[in-house]
Amino acid sequence: MSTMATDPQPLVMGRYYLIKLLGKGSFAKVYKARHAETGEEVAIKIMDKDHLAKSGAEQQQIMSEIDIMRRVRHPNVVRLHEVMANKKRIFVVMELVRGGSLLGYLSRNRGVGEPAARRVFQQLVSAVEYCHSRGVFHRDIKPENILVDGKGDIKVADFGLSALADTKHDALLHTVCGTPMYIAPEVILNRGRGYDGVAADVWACGVVLFVIVAGCLPFSSVTDTGAMYRKIVRRQYDCPESLSPGLARLVRRILSPLPAQRITIPQIKQMPWFRRGFKEINFYIGSDECPRTLGDYHDLDSDSDDDSNSTVSSSEDPSSPVQHRGRRMHTSVSAPSLTSLEKEKDSSVPAMRRPKSLNAFDIIASSPSFDLSGLFDEPGEQMRFVSAAPVPKIIAKLEEIAGHVSFTARTKEHQVSIEATRNGLRGVLIISAKVFELTQDLVMVKVCKKAGDTAEYRQFCDKELKPGLRGLVDGMPPAGDSA
Amino acid sequence: MGCASSKQFKRRTPGYEDPNILAKETTFSVNEVEALYELYKKISNSIFKDGIIHKEEFQLALFRNSSKKNLFADRIFDLFDQKRNGVIEFGEFVRSLNIFHPDTPMTEKIAFAFRLYDLRCTGFIEREELKELVIALLNESDLFLSEEAVEQIVDQTFKQADANGDGKIDPDEWKDFACKNPALLRNMTLPYLNMQKSTWARAVVM
Repeated sequence: MSTMATDPQPLVMGRYYLIKLLGKGSFAKVYKARHAETGEEVAIKIMDKDHLAKSGAEQQQIMSEIDIMRRVRHPNVVRLHEVMANKKRIFVVMELVRGGSLLGYLSRNRGVGEPAARRVFQQLVSAVEYCHSRGVFHRDIKPENILVDGKGDIKVADFGLSALADTKHDALLHTVCGTPMYIAPEVILNRGRGYDGVAADVWACGVVLFVIVAGCLPFSSVTDTGAMYRKIVRRQYDCPESLSPGLARLVRRILSPLPAQRITIPQIKQMPWFRRGFKEINFYIGSDECPRTLGDYHDLDSDSDDDSNSTVSSSEDPSSPVQHRGRRMHTSVSAPSLTSLEKEKDSSVPAMRRPKSLNAFDIIASSPSFDLSGLFDEPGEQMRFVSAAPVPKIIAKLEEIAGHVSFTARTKEHQVSIEATRNGLRGVLIISAKVFELTQDLVMVKVCKKAGDTAEYRQFCDKELKPGLRGLVDGMPPAGDSA
Repeated sequence: MGCASSKQFKRRTPGYEDPNILAKETTFSVNEVEALYELYKKISNSIFKDGIIHKEEFQLALFRNSSKKNLFADRIFDLFDQKRNGVIEFGEFVRSLNIFHPDTPMTEKIAFAFRLYDLRCTGFIEREELKELVIALLNESDLFLSEEAVEQIVDQTFKQADANGDGKIDPDEWKDFACKNPALLRNMTLPYLNMQKSTWARAVVM
């Protein structure tokens, strides 16, 4: 790259050169950095560990969100590559977005008109909805976290990282100091305990929308926080007269102090103001379609043939990102070329690909009974079956089952695999199914739980998956035995 | 003070070894050996309550089931039981788990896996052994393949791994094959054991 400096640059985590400081917050610094070997440019956020959330439940949540975020792709979400830590700090490696934050964009482009505001808001809502559907909440949406690229498209940063830095305290602190606040009233009133992440994110989107169109915060008070809360609770804010009635109505419905009465994302998307020019983007959890060497070896291995371990870890084991490192340098066998990936964005093509084949030792090594993890943790939820049916037929059947139970099935790149998500009663359930070749005529399908409630997963397996596959499958484990 | 003497009176299980010595011999730190001791105590007192791990206790810990016959549990147990006296003592437990530490050199893991798969201890992984392993492991998951299909899989594997084509895999061939396919060793590493390194487990716990 052109900025190649002759000075020795600090090397972090043994593989990134810090190039320059991009931004600085109270607990974190963001650097532009370059991968030592590949030259790939990334952004690295470095945080002090003192500000980590500490409760066990929160940790699990963080880990599972990070795990999901590492696999999530959406055009308006900043990609998270990896998270690492040493004794003092946490390093979050993410996609480098050229441009700046929405804050800078707004100050440069004074008086952003409604069409431009709508575009930003549509993209913001699309990103938030997508992440929510995967069980990931932001909890700290604000213009500083919304990046604008050269084309004026936005990318939301820090999804799933909220609990890393203690944003709630941070926000409360800032509120007291009179700095901008985007935190939903119920979050502040509950001191961050037990609130609905979905509704809180919607609130923040509303404040952002207001800031874009009005150029100021809806509720703010430099001196009197009490007065500010009273205004929030009474929904008392000055709506600029210039706003179109449709927009004013939308803002009002978002800034409802009671989360239960606040408009939801599906409702927002029905609002006429929002719908103008809105194109629904159908996105998917991709795996590794980007030209990265760095992220690729993690996910490739874990996604392609490491189910038994990664299943357990992705939702339940706080050490999982660690596990995804170190052992990953290898399985590049099935890495597809970039061009083939580009073409395969539609979910209808898996039939063209050949599943990764398993040799005898693969079968042994990935066998749930050949796994010592049980000494340390509950065994993972995994199910395997063998079928002589053609791969496209299996995939079609899996998708049918997924559709039948209102799952959204997506076929991934570079391997024959589908991942399904649904919003169950106990949160989001993510299930993945992968197909491997055993012999010319036989394939093995591995189904495992990636995230979500175990009981709900088992119920899905027993009531929907297993009955649905009858006939296609040779060895179907008896009901109830999903380990 | 009473401190030092009270420690002396603390009852240790038979086969207990000084964590300092075990830490020196292995990748584990003293703290980690002590943490493993807690785990050891739990497992070894789950059924017979005599402070030594019996096979049933080992199976119970691994699969939450002490009676289900499991080839893998048998194999692992035999390899852990270095003294071959039918139980796993604490020192054996720590030294054996050390193989599964993420920082343990690949060569040790490769060697351990070889011994694990060399069911009859002939110094080779033979065709029949591999076949037996595949069938047993599939059956444990209630997967039943035809004889023919298993033959095909084993044939295919031998084509890749048995470089000199003598019908059995020797330690060198295994080493080459495993180096080319490191994913084959994934069950030889337990991320859980990486308690000390600057990892997420630590980041979150500390």
